[in-house]
Amino acid sequence: MNGWILAATVELGGGGAAALWGVTTGPTARRVVAQNLTTAALCPALLLLAQGYGRPAYVDLALLLALLGPVGTLVFARLLHEDLEGRRPSAWGLTYAVAGVGAAVVIALCAVTGPGRAMVKLLVIGALLIGGNLIASRALSGGFRGVLGG
Amino acid sequence: MSDALILVALLLVAATATAAVAQRDPARQALVLSVLGVFLAVLFTVLQAPDVGLSQLAVGAALTPLLIMLSVRKIRRRRRDRDGAR
Repeated sequence: MNGWILAATVELGGGGAAALWGVTTGPTARRVVAQNLTTAALCPALLLLAQGYGRPAYVDLALLLALLGPVGTLVFARLLHEDLEGRRPSAWGLTYAVAGVGAAVVIALCAVTGPGRAMVKLLVIGALLIGGNLIASRALSGGFRGVLGG
Repeated sequence: MSDALILVALLLVAATATAAVAQRDPARQALVLSVLGVFLAVLFTVLQAPDVGLSQLAVGAALTPLLIMLSVRKIRRRRRDRDGAR
């Protein structure tokens, strides 16, 4: 047990519990936002786990999650547009807070890894995570007519 | 101490799976299921099985919700068409 795994445990417990509570209660619009934030909260936890176990190969999981999480949210935004109409769910404060946590984790890991291919991979994951999360949040709050127009 | 991490992951998976069963609306069930897929992938990683976690992530995070939501939409449409024809 080292500091990285401890941080991953805290991130997993806090983010996971918040996501679980958000996705099981309240109106459908808020549940979709919580589902979107799950990706952003757990991807940094996976990165921390990879560092904690000392196995760089585990980073692939975070890469896949950063790629597929926003895809899943866009599926919901497209197919649930009847339920979301008129509500325009958004939680920009929370979205930016979670994105900030992701950025902080990526920067910390980059500082430990040092320059090289691994650092480029980490930066790509961070960009995918934050960019995908912002795009998905924007689609949910009705930013793209094509997505919600269905 | 690594047991604490496994315990947290297991508790999250158990709670989410129970919540997925307890939901009544299929669309909301699909939402909880996609969260459950991500939690399961984390649990597999914690148990040192990242290959299983990778496939779980691909299936659970995007594919299962897509399939469920497509069927829900088709059923809703068919029902609406039938009601409209009456």
